[in-house]
Amino acid sequence: MSLSLSVADLTLPKIAYVVEPRFSGGTSSAVAQELRVAAQFGQLSVHAVTSKTFGKKQLVAPSLRRVLDELHIPLIWDAPRISADFVILHNPSFLKFQDELPTKIFARELIVVTHENFLRPGGEEGFDVANCLNQIEAASLALKKTLAPISGHNRKTVTDWLDRSCAAKHWQVLKADWFNICDFELTEPSNQPSDRRGRHSRPGFEKFPTLIDLDHCFSPQAQENVILGADSLLEAGFQRPHWTLLPFDAISVSDFFEMIDFYVYFTAPTWQESFGRVIAEAIAAGKVVLTDANTGQAFGDAVVKCKPGEVDEIVARFVAQPDSYQNQVRKAQQMLAEYSSQKFEAMISGVLSSRSEVQP
Amino acid sequence: MIFVEAGQRSLRSFDSQLIFAEQLNARGFNACIGSEYLPENAGRGRIYEAAKFLVDQEEYQASTVFILGAEEIDDLLLSSLRQKKLALETPVIATGRFKSQQNYVGAKARLAYALGREANVIDLTEMQPRSILPTAASPLVAELGQGPRPIRQKTAVTVVLGSIELDTTDTLSCLARMSNQSAYTLRIIVSGAQNEAIKASPFSDLPTLLYTDLSPHSLAGSTDILAMFGTGVAGVRMATLAVELIAAGGVAIDCTEDEALMSAGAPALLGPKSLFAFDGYLTGKVLGHRAMIAQQASKSPWLQTVDIARLEAAAGLSAPAHKTAPSGRQTLFLPTNGVGLGHAQRCTIIAKALPQRSKPIFAAFPSCVPLVRREGIDCIPLVARASAEDHINANDILTYRRLSAALNTADTFVFDGGYVFDSVYRVIQECRLSAVWLRRGLWPKGRSRPAMLRREGIFDRVIVPSEAFDELNDAYSYGDHVHYVGPIVRQVDQSKSEREALRERLADRFGRDFKHLVVSMLGGGVASDRSAQLQALSGMFEKRTDCLHLVVTWPGSVVHPSAFGWTNTRVVHTLEATSLGLAADLVVSAAGYNSVLEILYHQLPAILIPQSAPYLDDQERRARALADRDLCAIVTERELMKLERTVSDCLDHGETEVYQAALQTIELPKTGAEQAARLIAEVGGNHG
Repeated sequence: MSLSLSVADLTLPKIAYVVEPRFSGGTSSAVAQELRVAAQFGQLSVHAVTSKTFGKKQLVAPSLRRVLDELHIPLIWDAPRISADFVILHNPSFLKFQDELPTKIFARELIVVTHENFLRPGGEEGFDVANCLNQIEAASLALKKTLAPISGHNRKTVTDWLDRSCAAKHWQVLKADWFNICDFELTEPSNQPSDRRGRHSRPGFEKFPTLIDLDHCFSPQAQENVILGADSLLEAGFQRPHWTLLPFDAISVSDFFEMIDFYVYFTAPTWQESFGRVIAEAIAAGKVVLTDANTGQAFGDAVVKCKPGEVDEIVARFVAQPDSYQNQVRKAQQMLAEYSSQKFEAMISGVLSSRSEVQP
Repeated sequence: MIFVEAGQRSLRSFDSQLIFAEQLNARGFNACIGSEYLPENAGRGRIYEAAKFLVDQEEYQASTVFILGAEEIDDLLLSSLRQKKLALETPVIATGRFKSQQNYVGAKARLAYALGREANVIDLTEMQPRSILPTAASPLVAELGQGPRPIRQKTAVTVVLGSIELDTTDTLSCLARMSNQSAYTLRIIVSGAQNEAIKASPFSDLPTLLYTDLSPHSLAGSTDILAMFGTGVAGVRMATLAVELIAAGGVAIDCTEDEALMSAGAPALLGPKSLFAFDGYLTGKVLGHRAMIAQQASKSPWLQTVDIARLEAAAGLSAPAHKTAPSGRQTLFLPTNGVGLGHAQRCTIIAKALPQRSKPIFAAFPSCVPLVRREGIDCIPLVARASAEDHINANDILTYRRLSAALNTADTFVFDGGYVFDSVYRVIQECRLSAVWLRRGLWPKGRSRPAMLRREGIFDRVIVPSEAFDELNDAYSYGDHVHYVGPIVRQVDQSKSEREALRERLADRFGRDFKHLVVSMLGGGVASDRSAQLQALSGMFEKRTDCLHLVVTWPGSVVHPSAFGWTNTRVVHTLEATSLGLAADLVVSAAGYNSVLEILYHQLPAILIPQSAPYLDDQERRARALADRDLCAIVTERELMKLERTVSDCLDHGETEVYQAALQTIELPKTGAEQAARLIAEVGGNHG
């Protein structure tokens, strides 16, 4: 062990991140973004935990790998114990296919960031939450245990679940949203938008609305209907002559955004985005986003909230009024500042600063 | 229409779909399976079983969707659900054995994503904490029997060999001894490999069934005592068989190494693990106490865990009233083989001798339909195999479907044919019919007797219509169920004046006088090609200006083009061949059962040209029996050169008079149609 510690090292809190680094989507990207911010607040360590959800191969999501390399933080795999002032465990749902978290956690405060909604629309459980939280509880010794929702809707599912749960009464819920940092490069909106629509997402069934709604969203009226991540539609041989269906990795996301002016994003009514990172990406790319009121909740007026049956009319209106299109995109891009690194820094400082004390 | 779906597409889950669809149908629901589920390697048995359930999804609207095996759901199911665009009010029910809460929550979520709404997901582990086959996608439920199970005359014992290896002949000889026991009838359910081993052994006539030869529902219905050997339960079909049998009040004996039934709490007897000890155990401890054992088993709380009514209630399915069988029992005749006219004719003779309450009806190939209907009997047309390129069982599957639709339990089924087709085999057992096999004798040399008799056991009675001469009446099987009746022959009366009038009409019809009328009835079926003989005969009669030669075939029969274009030879399609034969001076005929009997009983002078084909009877032997008694001339297939001289002998040298004289003096047995009809009526309970 090195004894060359500076005064700053001795005063800064120890912050340990616990992640399943193989999450391919929003979780890894969000963690990667916030590591840069969190590094300013203390001595940072990042722990990878292998889980049955992703198997035994020790892979790391590229977005996370890049930031770890940039910050020169080694990734510690499956440590038997983790001790820190603050332990931040991201997305507890990675524990859903197992019964035990083998890593023991010792912390002043344990913060569990709830990337996935605890409940689905309608109130059904999104995953076996109790099992995941119980594993964390059994493996951890902490003065304070906090659940940190990432959005207003995510918060509601967490608190609703806690209200009806008998076993998890001692978890506190962080008042501020532990949101995804959306520091994307902003692209100017087109000054001649046309009816070129598209959507991209992972190919899971939860990400897609019913076929009737999908037909409304991507109608023959459009010049282009590009669906990236249409693997399940392709496998089922489901096709429309006016659709361009592309598998998930067929083209880059930036190439995809080149093909469209309108990002039309509806999901299964039985599932909801907990934050909606894809929406922020589309706004940053200079597109008008159309989505339902629930999915667009975290973005206020930055998105055009509508029903699938209204998409044709709304798109036609924006195409006819390019100024209105540009105004909508610019207004939306301004709103993304709410999810900037600076805002996140302010949020997290309230949690990790010395003022953050354990409640008696 | 309830669509029965599965979480995954595999042979195993398809079995579960078939089993559950059949159970729902038996409960009065209308269940079906999308044709896309049919696995490529389904095998013959499954295809028959599936035929009644498979539908093209786009042609039907689902009233309910029932998903089995929801613990493992693949994207194919989810895509299929998404594409169905189900109405909001269409219930979607899923069952699964979920290993964890996450497994349950995950399945529920995936279904909800595809449907856009929640499904009713039922965790079977709550209903059945200890399943006899925890890996089964099937719910493993059954209808509970109401009261004691009827006692069969002879106890039907079904033995499932399971994982037993048949590497020594000792096991097979033990089974052979059991199969010859008079106290019970034995049926052995085997795997494909076990079946191969048995067929290659000296015990190839053991009464075996493959797992897919019959549905578990049908197997349970025809089993009184079930014994399971090996390790574990041999798959979902056997698990269902056990559940159905126990639920219906049958006796299950657990002889498995790991006591698979007992350990799941099923009310089974713990039997010996060795086959060698089984017969003694069965006869000593079980056979005499069946009613008491079943009565004790009926009190087991385990029965509640497999009660299909509980699952229906959990699924929100309200059980429709059981389909009621139509009042009155019918007797359905299925004549078959080739175009089947001979069989059809024989059956109509018997059907007309049945008592009125027997309600005879036929199912027959199109060529036979007019023949049957002109006798005033209704006939369901079947479909003949159209071409060799068809699926080998395609038309028989259609026959199976039509028979299944037409028949109900308590009906009587009469099969007239040689080989017992799968359609016949299945429908008798599935509909639990009273069954009679009208089985003509005189099998040709080389025909495998065990193969022909393999399915005899499903018939309540075998009726053998006799030949005219004793030496032709070979016995192929024995027992109280085999009945020999007199020859069955259609008899036509024709007076001298009617004969003359007919000859005059023929002369008028064909525009020429004749001295000799010769009728050739060589058959127009698929049995064999008669064009060479017809060509020879037609050529021969072309030189005889005093002859009219009629080539007589059944309506619809194919006649070779070489029979047309002659001056003295004409082709006649008629159902009245016998009348023409009676009007003729000479008949040239094949030596089929009907033809020969008609020649004998109508005393027709004839030249017999026996046909030979592997699936025909031994016509040469039959013809020879007549020729040896100077009742006819015979020209075998190898003696075609003899034909002209034989015709000349008959027409020019008085040979026909010799035959007629002999025919007038020969003593023939009493015909057997009435006796056959009586035997059939007894089976169906329509006698007296």
